[in-house]
Amino acid sequence: MKQHNILLALGLLSCAPFALAHNPVCRCTNAAGGTIRCVGGFSDGSGAPGVKLDVIGYDEKVLLKGKLGADSSLSFKKPKGEFYILFDAGPGHVVEIDHAAVE
Amino acid sequence: MNAWIDASPWRRAWLRWRFHLCLLILLVPVCFFSASMHEQRLDSGQQGIGMRELPVKAIGPWSVRLAEKTLMAPTADGAAGHVKPFVAAFCQDCVPQIRAAYLRIGKPRNLRAAGALFYGSLYRTEAYLVVPPTLKQADQIWLTVEGWDGSVHQTSWPLAEASPVLLDWFKQQGKIE
Amino acid sequence: MGGKPSRAKFWFLLHSWLAMPIWAFVFFVCLTGTLATVSQEINWLVDPAFRANKPSATAQSIGFDGALAALHRAEPAADVQWMMQTEDYFAIQARATYPDASSATLYVNPYSGAIQGRAPEVTLRSFLRALHGWLLVPFKGGTSIGWYLVSALSIPLLGSLITGLIVYKKFWRGFFKFRIRFSQGARVAWGDFHRLAGVWSLWFVGVIAITAFWLLIQAVMWTARVSISTAGPPVMVAREEVPIVQPGQAIPRVSMAQSMEAARQALPEGFHPTFVGTQANAYSHVRVWGRSGSWPLLYESASVNPYTGAVEDSRKLSDRSKLELVTESMRPLHAGDFGGLAVKLIWAFFGALLSLMVFSGMLIWTKRTAQASAALLKKRERLASAAVVLQQEGGQ
Repeated sequence: MKQHNILLALGLLSCAPFALAHNPVCRCTNAAGGTIRCVGGFSDGSGAPGVKLDVIGYDEKVLLKGKLGADSSLSFKKPKGEFYILFDAGPGHVVEIDHAAVE
Repeated sequence: MNAWIDASPWRRAWLRWRFHLCLLILLVPVCFFSASMHEQRLDSGQQGIGMRELPVKAIGPWSVRLAEKTLMAPTADGAAGHVKPFVAAFCQDCVPQIRAAYLRIGKPRNLRAAGALFYGSLYRTEAYLVVPPTLKQADQIWLTVEGWDGSVHQTSWPLAEASPVLLDWFKQQGKIE
Repeated sequence: MGGKPSRAKFWFLLHSWLAMPIWAFVFFVCLTGTLATVSQEINWLVDPAFRANKPSATAQSIGFDGALAALHRAEPAADVQWMMQTEDYFAIQARATYPDASSATLYVNPYSGAIQGRAPEVTLRSFLRALHGWLLVPFKGGTSIGWYLVSALSIPLLGSLITGLIVYKKFWRGFFKFRIRFSQGARVAWGDFHRLAGVWSLWFVGVIAITAFWLLIQAVMWTARVSISTAGPPVMVAREEVPIVQPGQAIPRVSMAQSMEAARQALPEGFHPTFVGTQANAYSHVRVWGRSGSWPLLYESASVNPYTGAVEDSRKLSDRSKLELVTESMRPLHAGDFGGLAVKLIWAFFGALLSLMVFSGMLIWTKRTAQASAALLKKRERLASAAVVLQQEGGQ
């Protein structure tokens, strides 16, 4: 049940001004020493400490199973070959970043 | 008072009636009455499942109708990019067998990355599709459906078919690779 | 008025000018707002299906589970999204969706489980709220011009309150002056009413104006997409906890009563669940909502894992920031929606009084002040004679 539908039904919200959005956000950048640093969060500005972040090869082999730290970030050594990064805050709340899209 | 007595008939009428001109604001709700009723009815599915509905399509053992909820271009959602709502309606017999459905632009790599999750009764369920920063020519809209028995089925539509508005938006932004 | 007639006059004219040019708009908003406070009670009066009549004196409530079972017996294809019973004199409301993709809100008797009727597609409550809140102007990109127009009235309303107090010297003496002079013409009678109603509804006008001003700020925040929410992202049921269910088998889920009991255990004493939202897909939680026991203006909620019955997320009073406690209290304060029927009736009464004050203010103006102002603009010496009129006013 989406939050704003509940609020509407209870009369706590008079209208659906915008989808009270909590879409996941994740940004990965190349850092010094051949590492990649990813920062996760949500579109309302809240952080994502403890959320799963996996690095997966194009062959679907999981190369790294990680969790974001207290600062909602995770740094890891850049794997060889083609891969993608999956920020996974639960079903439907996922951001996928291709290795080519790492800034 | 003299100010009134000396004034021309027009000025007198103005002085007399000017403060009742605000009655005209009542025209606002009158004008928007039917639009407002229509908007509220959209939420009860009485005017179709969305603003632009596609024909029934088979997905594995099931069937589904997909629709754009509105004909608007995607709306910005901060750092998450742009989102656009879609509606799906599954056949009566398949609803008890389905546990979740997802929508994504481009074929999903796996079930975890299957895209935006649908919420609400599967008779008429909604997902906020997060559109990718760029669109590849061959990209389609993919619907992934997961059964309670663990089975997974997929189907797709070309963007030109599923949402011309979205395709135009990508074109306008010059975001097609 | 003392020795400074010009200053007193300034406040008096300001008091008049604040609402007079827009009196019909203010009156309309006050009137629709008054009706909106008791919209559900009006619905209760006009639609017997919305009443929770006991079939017999000893009848016991069958609860949400009983109502849900009865609903499924009557309409096997219905898929229920939520059930709600906010007052015990209202029927249980159940939102259901059907195979033809339409949805409806059903009124279910909380004792017999009988489906007594259906809410209209646009309920009186939602219609009045849209009419009062945003003049039916549709929302585009999170903003409705109507919302701004209406909430901006909080500024002249607050201005009228303050200038009214300045003009009406020693207003506290007016509380027990229950004197309305009907014999001296309509203007005097309306003037007496305006002042008497004014002092008695001071607190109410203040509450309405301040809370409405917050609604204006909220609209600005929506438009600017600024959020002060500390609610955080949604919690989902972990993929591995969702059971595999073969066709024909029942999905093992806890009952509504179990979910409500789990929420009661997890939330502070006095929590009273009135709303249960069913799963929106296999990965979402059952959501239980109800008023807080210690601060009934706000709702608390719990997210229950339907497969295990465990509360995996909750939103308590103590989870909110001080700013949220204040701002989230604004809407229920504005609507009088926090203390059951008694508070709603008090709000409706004072809302009607406020509507009448706008109307009487307009009548007083048209009968006198308009001419006084016109004269003032014309000739300076008229100021003195107008002040005499005022002096008579002020001295009452």
